[in-house]
Amino acid sequence: MTTPAVQRAVDAAFREEWGRVLATLIRRTGDWDLAEECAQEAFADALRRWTVDGVPERPGAWLTTVAGNRAVDRLRRARRGAELLEQVGRDPTGAPHATMDVHKIDTDEDGGIEDDRLRLIFTCCHPALPLEGRVALTLRSLAGLSTAEIARAFLVPEATMAKRLTRAKAKIAGARIPYRVPPPHTLPERTGGVLAVLYLLFNEGYSASAGEQLIRAPLCLEAIRLARLVAVLMPDEPEASGLLALMLLHHSRRHARLDEMGDIVTLEEQDRMRWDVDEINEARALLRASLRRRAPGPYQVQAAIAACHAEAPNVAATDWSQIAALYELLLQLTPSPVVSLNRAVAVAMAEDVEAGLALVDELAQQGTLTDYHLLEATRADLHRRRGERTAAIAAYHRALAAARTEPERRFILRRLAEQQDRR
Amino acid sequence: MNYLLFICSEGEPAPEAMAVMQRECPGWVEEMAGRGVRLLGRELELPETATTVRVRAGETLVTDGPFAETKEFMAGFDLLECADLDEAIEVAAKHPASWFHTIEIRPFMDGLRLGEEASAFAREDDSAGTPYLLIMWMGGTPATPLDDEAVTQEGEAWRQDVEARGLHVLGNALEGTDTATTVRVRDGETLLSDGPFIETKEFIAGIDVVSCADRQQAIALAAAHPIARYHAIEVRPFHSE
Repeated sequence: MTTPAVQRAVDAAFREEWGRVLATLIRRTGDWDLAEECAQEAFADALRRWTVDGVPERPGAWLTTVAGNRAVDRLRRARRGAELLEQVGRDPTGAPHATMDVHKIDTDEDGGIEDDRLRLIFTCCHPALPLEGRVALTLRSLAGLSTAEIARAFLVPEATMAKRLTRAKAKIAGARIPYRVPPPHTLPERTGGVLAVLYLLFNEGYSASAGEQLIRAPLCLEAIRLARLVAVLMPDEPEASGLLALMLLHHSRRHARLDEMGDIVTLEEQDRMRWDVDEINEARALLRASLRRRAPGPYQVQAAIAACHAEAPNVAATDWSQIAALYELLLQLTPSPVVSLNRAVAVAMAEDVEAGLALVDELAQQGTLTDYHLLEATRADLHRRRGERTAAIAAYHRALAAARTEPERRFILRRLAEQQDRR
Repeated sequence: MNYLLFICSEGEPAPEAMAVMQRECPGWVEEMAGRGVRLLGRELELPETATTVRVRAGETLVTDGPFAETKEFMAGFDLLECADLDEAIEVAAKHPASWFHTIEIRPFMDGLRLGEEASAFAREDDSAGTPYLLIMWMGGTPATPLDDEAVTQEGEAWRQDVEARGLHVLGNALEGTDTATTVRVRDGETLLSDGPFIETKEFIAGIDVVSCADRQQAIALAAAHPIARYHAIEVRPFHSE
């Protein structure tokens, strides 16, 4: 009978080792489905055998060996030819050996397996795959989520998600998407692609509505876990650490950012005592280390902005001129009207409201944000700060017309009511 | 692995774009042939010159114009031998056509078959016969119930027959459109998307180039292919100087 201790050990090994076991098996067999089935069987075996033999010292090595043997057995049974068998038996240096044993796996773990997980994530996030397929495959292969779990998190039927995963795997095999870390000339671009998938994953969880929080919020934790893995595997890529820091800083505010109604509480109004200090400290350490590499990128800069907020005891004591300067830098790295708007807010807070308003007016004249409720909401807010009630109310009304979701409308209505109460 | 690059045009390119492509293409061809990744490629005549062939109830039906009535059309193709999709993407992104048009990358299912005529065809030496591209369109509702296995077998028999008659220049079946990737380069940035360029329920299942005495013979060859009975085959002449 399986004891709770063994069950816990297998569960822990699954969290820690699934991606590693699968990544190695895919490299050796070149067959995603076979690799997945054998990895699953190895975990089932673990439950039985660890009950009898005890939990091995290195569960990952044990699982990789058992899964590898399973693959060899299956290939032999299926008589799929000497060629594939040879591939399975080959170690990462390319030298074939007849059987895989624990010793071979051990040497492997010191060298190849870390790379295998990187290979896996770059393949899952390949830009020739549809974006939704990239996200699903990353969660399935690296995070070990089941198809049903991923389907729930993305609010689609399980059959739809299964099809998405099958299609992505079929394209990898049919179009021959290579299983590797990209060569240097494409590495920066492709790394950006991997980080974008992880950030999208995080935002899917983070921006979930109140009703969806319970099922979607775990996506944030998965995204953080995967970003942590990529940051460890790519120590020379400061943007990977930057992304991890950014996610942690956002995540640190999770208990303060929604009210009882499930509405967004602005940074200004959040109860900062409810911010997660451990996550903030970890993020700040990561950010300090990555900024020392002097290769700023959009994630590091956004994390630095979030860190400015995290370090301030309240809105008034925030280093707004630093934030304005960081937005200026972000604008150079990734020009966008939304970044311009945020910069305008920071300028208004740092110097004077007049300068901020001028920037907002300038943006409004460019016309790219006309349908964006936050443009008018920002303008209204700045008028409010200057005590220009009529102008503020007019702008809130325009913001209300542009708002698309109920929480957005409720937020603007609340502000509007505050202005009208002052009558 | 063999890949087909379809050069997909959204309409007649501007004269400046034409000039750039004409100037830059020879360099691309030289570089890619030197690396051994580009096997050959040709430019097609405009789609108005296309003929679409269907066989219904034993009768060959010929209509003027391309199969897909879209403003997008295929302007030519290149055939590659690459290690993997990444290399095919890199080669496609360096193709001057990707700066103005879209290039669709499609892997061949069982490799590309090149006949003896292929090298003359590649040199645009059409003295032995006029080359025609046969585009195999499938998908949508077949004219009669479709037996995939039978189509594959008959298609193979057709190819062997055309090869035996010395008329087959090159071609083969393509992997499904699920494996397609389109490449565009804009402002120096390579933009990829999943799926074929023309997203309709019909899709291109394979291509063959045949060498014929005239258009009538090309139409007759197309009509003999099983896909003409279930769906349609587009016959396209090539551009020559």
